[in-house]
Amino acid sequence: MESNIGAQDEKDGAQLLLNLKVRKSFADFTLDCEAQFTDGITAIFGPSGSGKSTLLNSIAGLVRPDEGEIRFKSEVLYSSEKGVHLPPEKRRFGYVFQDSALFPHMSVSDNIHFGYKLAAREDRRIEPSQLVELLQLDRLLHRGVSNLSGGERQRVALARALATSPRLLLLDEPLASLDVGLRGVILGYLKRIRRELGISMVYVSHSISEMMALADDALILRNGKVVAFGQSSEALVTPEVSALAHFDTLENFLDGVVRKRYDNEDLAELEVGDANLLAVGVRRDEGESLTVSIRAGDIIVSRQIPPQTSARNAILARVSEIHKVDSRVLVYADIGTRVVVEITSNSLEALELREETEMYLIIKANSVIPLEGSRD
Amino acid sequence: MELLDILGLTVQIAVVGTVINLPIALGVSWLIVKRRIPGRLVFDALVSLPLAVPPVVVGYALLLLLGNRGPVGGLLDNVLGVELVFTWFAAALAAAVVSFPLMARAVMVAMGGVDEHLEMAARSLGASAVRVFFTITVPLAYRGILAGALLGFVRAISEFGATIVVAGNIPGKTQTLPLAIYSEVLLGDDATAMRLIAVSVGLAVVTLLAHNWLLDRAARSGV
Repeated sequence: MESNIGAQDEKDGAQLLLNLKVRKSFADFTLDCEAQFTDGITAIFGPSGSGKSTLLNSIAGLVRPDEGEIRFKSEVLYSSEKGVHLPPEKRRFGYVFQDSALFPHMSVSDNIHFGYKLAAREDRRIEPSQLVELLQLDRLLHRGVSNLSGGERQRVALARALATSPRLLLLDEPLASLDVGLRGVILGYLKRIRRELGISMVYVSHSISEMMALADDALILRNGKVVAFGQSSEALVTPEVSALAHFDTLENFLDGVVRKRYDNEDLAELEVGDANLLAVGVRRDEGESLTVSIRAGDIIVSRQIPPQTSARNAILARVSEIHKVDSRVLVYADIGTRVVVEITSNSLEALELREETEMYLIIKANSVIPLEGSRD
Repeated sequence: MELLDILGLTVQIAVVGTVINLPIALGVSWLIVKRRIPGRLVFDALVSLPLAVPPVVVGYALLLLLGNRGPVGGLLDNVLGVELVFTWFAAALAAAVVSFPLMARAVMVAMGGVDEHLEMAARSLGASAVRVFFTITVPLAYRGILAGALLGFVRAISEFGATIVVAGNIPGKTQTLPLAIYSEVLLGDDATAMRLIAVSVGLAVVTLLAHNWLLDRAARSGV
């Protein structure tokens, strides 16, 4: 049943973080899962009821498995054999809930300091002031939490978890209750956290787009069993996953910088990877960064630059991987960053695409959707 | 003047009974609602038991326990030379036992209303189960907890059956409002009985209004 993807072993210098062997039964469902997570961002992906949250909560110590062993590096967190179950407060893992779970009787600042004050002095590597800057919370600090917007709540929840200087950050669908624009914003923050604070994450999601944008590795669960595990880009296209996933909603979340603004219609030129993309509806100023979304199905592949077309973007790209999933084909294109394009197998044959083939990605300016959230 | 003394003694006994009950109700509710200890259904039934048996039975049980030949009373008599039965403190204990179920039920409901995710979040942030109880659960449930305490208090001030068995009906010492009303009715002093009844009803109404106001505030704050 399990297809373990070999690429896992090839990652240079990847350090083993979590060693999981978890069995937990409920009345109508059993989670039975074995996996090794390395540092970086690992996604746990699956439909609802697949056991994602149970697995995450077992790692956090909020759920006690029936059987198995959980190790963080060499430290045993749980072992049914040895009768060990380290309580959550001793694991030093940050946890971010889908619903933020901010303490309603405390200000934003008190929320952020709650865990910071409890952390041992010698464990404190991250200061709240650093997080306030990173997550742009300075204007919210003295407010109560009840009148914050969804995106603000998740930023505060992230800061609160990070202020404990966690050894690992656990996230349970942190974007699921946000609208689309804000998702890109929070994704951007998560990438910055990974980059600037060097914290590894375990990220539970049922969105392939998020998984593709964020995760290095992915563990795919279905009915409590592991169906695939490996690099997220590979795990995505295993047959087991394609049966679960809806590729028609697959989006590329790409980071870019505004290079040039045109006065009319919010038209702006963005630098994304090595390419320049024209997008409409951009509110950011020149030099500012943002995340854009492009649907995999909104991209047209052409072997030549079309002579006259309304689409404003024709970007030179190289095929890096081709994956066939039933009658559909996912082409991974390299434009200095990875872009997933969905075409039919018929188009694949007609265009004679192979790995390393050069092609043009034709994208309408209004298919490049800036994810800026609200500017406040 | 005598009426004020009776009122004072009644309030004193009910307050002491409530103060004794509050930490026990908090602890028991925590075990049943938050820790979900094994056997909690049985435990839960035991909590409600004083509500289900006649108060006279509670009083008699206390008399057996606290009397000179009882396990607790005998020990107190031998070690400290203290006798509890037929004192105001015995009345407070009787009021406590009889009013406990009402208070504990209300505290359980208040605690059950605190979002579990908040407590889980606090644990993941490094707080022990006990710290979570004092910094998250109790502060968020405090209005409901206070309302429960008031409900226990209002039951304690009206306590009669258990009190008369274990504390007697001694004017100036253990005679609370309900006991005084009982005596005046027996003596046929209707005017005094009516005045005591009016005070008793007034006290109950004020307490219940405060109770309702607290619960209303709790519902509005969403916790």
